[in-house]
Amino acid sequence: MTLIDWTRRSLLVAGAAVALTLNMTAPVVAQTPPGVLIVGQIAEPKALDPAAVTAVNDFRILMNVYDGLVRYKDGTLETEPALATGWDISEDGTVYTFQLRDGVKFHDGTAFNADAVKFNFDRMLKEDHPYHNTGPFPLSFFFSAVQNVEVIDPLTVKFTLNAPYAPFLSNLAYPTGLIVSPAAVEKFGAEFGRNPSGTGPFKFAEWRSNEAVVVEANPDYWDGATELQAVVFRPITDANTRTAEMLAGGIDMMVEVPPVALSKFEGDAFHLVEQAGPHVWFLILNAKEGPFADKRVRQAANYAINKEALVNDVLEGTAAVAAGPTPPAFAWAYNKTLQPYAYDPEKAKALLAEAGAEGAELTFYVTEGGSGMLDPIAMGTAIQADLQAVGLKVKIETYEWNTFLGQVNPGLEGKADMAEMAWMTNDPDTLPYLALRTEAWPDKGGFNSGYYSNPKVDELLESARAATDQGERAKLYQEMQTIVQDDAPWVFVANWKQNAVTSDKVENFALQPSFFLLLKDVVKN
Amino acid sequence: MLGYILKRLVSAVPVLLGITVIVFLIMAMIPGDPATAILGSYATPENVEKLNRDLGLDKPLVAQYFIWLGNMLQGDFGQSFALNRPVLDEVLDRFSATLVLAGTAFVLCSLLGILAGVVSAARQYGFADKAITFVVLLGISIPSFFLGMMMILLFAVQLRWLPVSGMYAIYGGGDLPDLLNHLAMPACALAVVATGVIARLSRSAMLEVLRQDFIRTARAKGVGERGVIWRHALRAAMVSIIPVLGIQAGFVLSGAVYIEMVFQWPGVGRMLVDAILKRDILLVQGGVVFVAACYVMFNIIVDVAQSLLDPRIKT
Amino acid sequence: MTAFLALLARNRLALWGGLALAVVVVLALLTPILPLADPDVIDTANRFKPAFGDGGWLGTDHLGRDLLSRLLWGTRLSLAVGFAAAIAAATLGAGIGIIAGYYGGRTDNLIMRGVDMLMAFPYILLALAIVAALGPGLMNALIAVAAVNIPFFARNIRGITAGIAHKEFVDAARLAGMKDGRIILTEILPNVLPVIVIAMSTTIGWMILETAGLSFLGLGSQPPQADLGSMLGEARSALITNPHTSIVPGVMILIIVMAINLLGDGVRDALDPRLKSGALTRPMAATLVDRTDVPKAEDDGVLAMQDLKTEFRLKNRVYKAVGGVSLSVRKGECLGIIGESGSGKSVTALSVMGLVASPPGVITGGAVRFEGTDIIGAPYEDLRQLRGNRVAYIFQDPLATLHPLYKVGDQLIEAISAHRKISKSEGRAKAIALLQSVRIPNPESRIDSYPHEMSGGMRQRVGIAMALANDPDVIIADEPTTALDVTVQAQILALLNDLRRERGVAIIFITHDFGVVAQLCDRVAVMYAGRIVEEGPTDAILTAPAHPYTKRLIDCVPELGGGRRRLAAIPGLPPMVDDLPTGCAFAERCDKSTPACRAGEIAFDRSGLRAVRCIHPEPQGGAL
Repeated sequence: MTLIDWTRRSLLVAGAAVALTLNMTAPVVAQTPPGVLIVGQIAEPKALDPAAVTAVNDFRILMNVYDGLVRYKDGTLETEPALATGWDISEDGTVYTFQLRDGVKFHDGTAFNADAVKFNFDRMLKEDHPYHNTGPFPLSFFFSAVQNVEVIDPLTVKFTLNAPYAPFLSNLAYPTGLIVSPAAVEKFGAEFGRNPSGTGPFKFAEWRSNEAVVVEANPDYWDGATELQAVVFRPITDANTRTAEMLAGGIDMMVEVPPVALSKFEGDAFHLVEQAGPHVWFLILNAKEGPFADKRVRQAANYAINKEALVNDVLEGTAAVAAGPTPPAFAWAYNKTLQPYAYDPEKAKALLAEAGAEGAELTFYVTEGGSGMLDPIAMGTAIQADLQAVGLKVKIETYEWNTFLGQVNPGLEGKADMAEMAWMTNDPDTLPYLALRTEAWPDKGGFNSGYYSNPKVDELLESARAATDQGERAKLYQEMQTIVQDDAPWVFVANWKQNAVTSDKVENFALQPSFFLLLKDVVKN
Repeated sequence: MLGYILKRLVSAVPVLLGITVIVFLIMAMIPGDPATAILGSYATPENVEKLNRDLGLDKPLVAQYFIWLGNMLQGDFGQSFALNRPVLDEVLDRFSATLVLAGTAFVLCSLLGILAGVVSAARQYGFADKAITFVVLLGISIPSFFLGMMMILLFAVQLRWLPVSGMYAIYGGGDLPDLLNHLAMPACALAVVATGVIARLSRSAMLEVLRQDFIRTARAKGVGERGVIWRHALRAAMVSIIPVLGIQAGFVLSGAVYIEMVFQWPGVGRMLVDAILKRDILLVQGGVVFVAACYVMFNIIVDVAQSLLDPRIKT
Repeated sequence: MTAFLALLARNRLALWGGLALAVVVVLALLTPILPLADPDVIDTANRFKPAFGDGGWLGTDHLGRDLLSRLLWGTRLSLAVGFAAAIAAATLGAGIGIIAGYYGGRTDNLIMRGVDMLMAFPYILLALAIVAALGPGLMNALIAVAAVNIPFFARNIRGITAGIAHKEFVDAARLAGMKDGRIILTEILPNVLPVIVIAMSTTIGWMILETAGLSFLGLGSQPPQADLGSMLGEARSALITNPHTSIVPGVMILIIVMAINLLGDGVRDALDPRLKSGALTRPMAATLVDRTDVPKAEDDGVLAMQDLKTEFRLKNRVYKAVGGVSLSVRKGECLGIIGESGSGKSVTALSVMGLVASPPGVITGGAVRFEGTDIIGAPYEDLRQLRGNRVAYIFQDPLATLHPLYKVGDQLIEAISAHRKISKSEGRAKAIALLQSVRIPNPESRIDSYPHEMSGGMRQRVGIAMALANDPDVIIADEPTTALDVTVQAQILALLNDLRRERGVAIIFITHDFGVVAQLCDRVAVMYAGRIVEEGPTDAILTAPAHPYTKRLIDCVPELGGGRRRLAAIPGLPPMVDDLPTGCAFAERCDKSTPACRAGEIAFDRSGLRAVRCIHPEPQGGAL
């Protein structure tokens, strides 16, 4: 074949390709059949092994495929029975005995029983377990208090803790506590994360890398089969593209709607769903050195920032102003008497003058994105402008999320005066315990990156953790909130109201305070 | 010829190895590690250390590199930390998607670019030339991600002619028309810049050639204008156009990163960006080896095409 | 420098680009003193105000900041970064390229392998990784963008340096004991500088785009400061709801990059030495015709030119290359046209079939009649039918005039198939026959050779064979033997002579060598400055030239068949045809010239077979 022939032929082939590309058949509006729900996710899941993942995004799938021993009651953060029908807690709060639901089967057909529960926790916690190598299990420290798990009989299992640990039940309701099929783990080993098997309302069907994770209805679900035949989770990382897909009808539901896009979904063709959750968005202040070592300067920062404008304008009302370190979603532990710091630049200036910190220069770490960080650059920029207005010179340094964590978690000392941060937790204990105690300074393995220290707070938190009575715990947490608000180790900014948009074909959908996405009762016409 | 290709392939090996070293070094310089990335808010030094140990990242960097190299030579690219999946599976999945996208874009930009350049040169200073020159200039001046976003707004959201994103329809798709439907916008957006560059170069290459004596000879023989332009001039101009095609292929492959992000194309560019951000060293390493190998291969193809086209080049 | 600017200004598009860029740059420079809102003042209650409304000329962004102000400040930053990155990349890249190219060998090899590695690395990922490693910020983005562009510069400059490094003047400098560093600075750098400038001017736009891309990925400037890319990146989340916040920076990027590209093209064109002589234009299919009157037909030979005039029209000059030439040739006759380089003889020959490159060439008057029909201004298709079919050309340098990428056989076959359908095997047989007829040994294998695989003489034979392909009536041979050595030249002349006798072909033979004319031509016409100064039978003119110029030309021919001698032996140079003197164009160089010679048009006096354009003709020994 001469070269001209070759050129001519390849031209023909290419021409055909162009013709096909340009010949965009009839208009294609993505239509999905009823009974199949397409959910726009924010990222590709890492794995579908609940013990191995950490991201809310992955939890959204897992909560529909697996069950835990306990779960959160609909619309609350309080636990109720799930795979366990009931439990007893010993006097000293260190022994939990669960009675298990009878007749439940994993999707792979094997039975759910006490052995399965023991397998799950041993796999995560015991380094000598034969399937410990299917990890790593980054959140296994949720259960670090568990000393051992014993099978009493096929439907009874006993957890022994090394110390009283009040958040234990709540942690069991968290995705890390979801129960996987031991048989499937044994069969797939490290590949279990892509071949999941649980007891949930949907069973795994297919994972097309970076295109979709498909789950199908589990007709034998112990809590009643679903109306939906299948759910498709599509990872669409770009918020704009996700919005465009939603507008174009390519997806039926999208979570984490960008605030600026909300106005597009006001019509009848869409339903907007909102739910406040246990989220708090705050600024860590470096209480160890620099201007923020002075409590008055920290308070001044709280007064100087216009939080109303942040939540209502920048976040378009997708968040509420935060009053203290504990989000109101933990209704039982929240101190309702707490009033947020008012927006009062004059008072801020006065406090700064009193502390002699006028014109102080501050370095402010801002992230570009990240779990629960909302719109961190816009918020950081607005905060910078507010602080500037009261005479603080703020220099922003932005970091991509993982680098940001690498900078912030080891502590701000010597690097920065303030940093953005946000937490989503499942128990009022978690955040203050990990980020406000003296024992939680970074060098001691905690997240207290601003080096806040108040012995009274330390004491309150330790006793709240050991108390088994919720009323008593609540009292301790509320006192803690009052003290922390006044000490102002952080600037308390916002509590996020998670949102989601569905098309008008979707019914019976509600968001949960836990930020989980539960699709069991959803109907799509 | 075969020997030449073999020689080129062999000489590509050190380049590829060098690239892996560079990647390893850069990844080592980036603060943060995969454990921090995986643990997110829960990344205490203690947790990070434990997870790093579990992931086998506590070994010295040099050791890690050679372990990786040894495994790779046996076809084992390791396991991605962030995706919990063998690197090779992931890379092959994603790489094929990128090849479809970048390949289509490349065919598009080569054909359209050369066509535009030839027409432009043949009608120098005419209306077609001015129109093409303007459009081409617009094309090379517009950021591709911006163009992509605008295309989505217009064709997918407003007109609903084309799907917004993805490679296949989630339901009932998977055939060729479905793929082409999804491919139309990203491939065009990706091709725009390269089309412009190729068109400009083709135009000046054609002008250069058309002034040559052998074109006058062809005319003196009585060859028609179509033959003069397409058979004589283009053939000679291809000698300088083909190397540019090679360079543009590299650009298209690189530029796919933005397009893949905007159009949610499940390609290797987006995968690599994610992997860099998540410090997923093995995935970055595996992906880069493939992309670089593809680039090197393409260069060899260009050189071979060049020598097939131009009998004066000795191989 | 002024010449450069003048050239640049001549390019209208570049001018527009330059103007647009100048406006943008001036605005950017003036930004600090313009009465603009503070770009960083936030007013979240007034966010996303539309353009031309109460939110300022361009409205406000997602934090209620004035978009116009941010746009100008952002432009300032983007321009600075783009230029800085381009300069950094050019300096470092060129430095590496020069070192690699100058030292060559192992240094070169090592550096270029490194460059290969960087080039094989997807550039966005490389930039991304560099920024991730260095931390965020515009400065680091700048470093990343510059770094990923170094290989392109290095590669470009290396190639050029390698070409220069072995030139004589560099060797000379080396022999003179200059140090490498100094040679690079004083000998190499000045020569590669234009290329660096060209490459830079064409990459600045690209740099700005790339920086914008990185900022778009969130790796650029630190808030509240914004460059255009990060403005676009920040606005992106509101693209669907408030597209104007994206379009404003997007369009600004477009304008800047377009302006830079236009200007860059202009700079490149202005610095390109080939363009100094005029625009880089492609010749059209046939020479433009712009004539007012057509001379009446005179029955005279198979091909006749009547008062043919051809000009080259450049920007502000007109070169009258052919100033009214009348010549004719009969069947089987060989007419020689002789003259110095630049006398217009080749242009005359090319004008016949409309092959003068146009633009800039234009036929402005006269007629060319082939078998009595005027072919100047004939429809293109008619002209094409004649070309190569009835009137064929043989050109001077066959290496340049044969297509380098096609086999000679294919080129021969094409000469036939351009005029009639011919099957593959028939074409091949005919091509072999043609090669045989010009006495190329072993034509069956030679037919598959490429031009570069043949010797000069062989190539010229191919050229002749091509001319013979359709048994033409007229062959116009434009210095076909100039590039050949004497023995080959003799063979070619003999070949042409045979053809003329065997086939009755009329030949117009253009040369500057009377020796050649004497061997082949029946008649000869002497051209000077675009006009015929003398014409007549070859023998007569050789023995008794009438025009002083002819005499001088003949004197240049060596008496005995020694080496060829050039006509430069005549003192002075021919006049520029854009500035012809009144009267005799040769007067300046003629030792017999009188004021009358310069007074006015000199008539072309014909007597019998001879004609001369001179008022002081050489004395003729005997009857004419």
